[in-house]
Amino acid sequence: MEALDQETASRGVAQAGTSLKTRPSWMITLDRMRRRSFCYLFLLPTFALLLTFNYYPAFSALYHSFFQWDGARFKQWHGIANFIRIFEDEVMRTAFKNMFIISGFGLVISITFPLVAAALIFHLRDLRFAYFYRVMYVVPMVVPGMVTLMIWRFIYNPQIGLLNTLLRSLGLPTRVWLGDFQYALYALIFIGFPWIAGTSMLIYLAGLQGIESSLLDAAAIDGASGIKRFWYVELPLVASQIKLIVILTLIGAIQGFTGPLVMTNGGPGTTTMVPGLWLYRNAMSYNKMGYACAIGTFLFIVTMVLTFLNLRFVQSSAEFEGA
Amino acid sequence: MNAKLLKHDWSKHLILLLAGFITFYPFIFMLQTSVKSYYQFQHNFWLPTWPPNPLNYKDAFNSIWPYMINSFIVSGVTVFAVLGIASFAAYTFARYDFPGREILFLGILALLMIPGILTLVPAFLLIRDLGLIGTRWALILPYLSGGQVFAIFIMRSFIAGLPEELYESARIDGASNWHMFWRITMPLCKPILVTIGVMNILGTWNDYVWPLVTLPDDRLWTITVGIIRFTGHFQGLEAYGQMFAGYVIASVPLIVLFVFTMRAFISGLMSGAIKA
Repeated sequence: MEALDQETASRGVAQAGTSLKTRPSWMITLDRMRRRSFCYLFLLPTFALLLTFNYYPAFSALYHSFFQWDGARFKQWHGIANFIRIFEDEVMRTAFKNMFIISGFGLVISITFPLVAAALIFHLRDLRFAYFYRVMYVVPMVVPGMVTLMIWRFIYNPQIGLLNTLLRSLGLPTRVWLGDFQYALYALIFIGFPWIAGTSMLIYLAGLQGIESSLLDAAAIDGASGIKRFWYVELPLVASQIKLIVILTLIGAIQGFTGPLVMTNGGPGTTTMVPGLWLYRNAMSYNKMGYACAIGTFLFIVTMVLTFLNLRFVQSSAEFEGA
Repeated sequence: MNAKLLKHDWSKHLILLLAGFITFYPFIFMLQTSVKSYYQFQHNFWLPTWPPNPLNYKDAFNSIWPYMINSFIVSGVTVFAVLGIASFAAYTFARYDFPGREILFLGILALLMIPGILTLVPAFLLIRDLGLIGTRWALILPYLSGGQVFAIFIMRSFIAGLPEELYESARIDGASNWHMFWRITMPLCKPILVTIGVMNILGTWNDYVWPLVTLPDDRLWTITVGIIRFTGHFQGLEAYGQMFAGYVIASVPLIVLFVFTMRAFISGLMSGAIKA
């Protein structure tokens, strides 16, 4: 900030009395731009890339949502027909239903398991153990996501997978988990159980560690302990973290499709179809680029609206005065 | 005293250790199976066996290394390019006042809200029309372009927080803009550069859909795409030892990165989550 003041001041001195009053403002701006031309030079690569690979595709997607388009020569104005089709499309309806189920489970999971784990770690009296557990739960995140998915594919393997082998040794019935019309979607949701090793746990833990220790001391003096203290003191104070996790989980559930693509490819039938995967298939397999763009636009709008609602209406961390 | 502490927290330890065991067992299974022979795998499914068969790793490595090399090249080129370009831009935004600064920065910030799912199709068509399908540029250029956005965002506030006295005295000594960037700003940015770098590598190393759509030719496949074909191949042979050995090999680079940059790695993971 001071740098700017100083810059402006020195410029003012240089131009004092001569041109400053007589020249029109756009000329002064132009002059400043010339003086600062190296700034634009420094920003040139950034904006050249952004315009080509980020801005252009984003606007192209919005624009082509209104067209019937094969991605090459054939392009025909289609009005809002693509968007109407989103709601009439049978597969899309299944995809939305799955999206709701995944979001629902995802929300419940992401504000219970990792939060409880973070609270347990936070309350360990021996800090070395707290550090040990934190590192322990970070390590699985270091394994590439695709390797984790492959391991889970093996866990669900009907003949030699861990799950069926376990069930067989307990004398329980086995299933073709990822090929089961009834269970495939839930098998996908179950991946990563017990869902603790993840960024959510780290974010909750950081939130808990950010609580003023005087507050916790005061609560302890007042006789609040264990679950009571968690519920009445800590939980309101990590509301901001919960809010963040909620929106991240929703964004993931609305836009993500790597899991279903790799594990089931939407099958069996369309039982594990999700919106992102349907977009992907319309574009890459059926060449319906316009419709795919419309799905993308729709998902983008849904995400924006939810983000806005979350920012606007979900409560942030309680603030304590004079803490 | 230690025993007393442990005693008091035993229920917490029990829960955390049990959950930790369930979390870890799949990875332990991966490690132990990666050194099992077919016979050992069939006869002792759950537990480690002796002797280990390191040759599994040789077979796995032979079919997985081309994918690893491709991932190294793509992630490596991308991370250095992102750090370079983002440093320039962040320094300019943080340290100079020039007409259009606010609006240009806003133009970068707005991109944080544009999800990949929106741009997937037109970006693919753009890469196709540029004739880049089946080249490494199809990955590197979009990774670079998208990766710099968050990097600039983080770095700008970091550089803006550096004390102005540094720059003032440099200016009095007649330092050039380049000198202030390269000799003063960059050395102070080392920790944040490591964090951003780690975050960027995590993103590109783990990306699956983009290489899948832009690389029809398997010679350039990155590890995420390659490992699926790899799995199919060894599963077909019922060579589970080799299959899991491949998974271990694919995990090694990120684990090494983690060991050397633990602090930056964790903050990278967290900021990566906030970016999404």
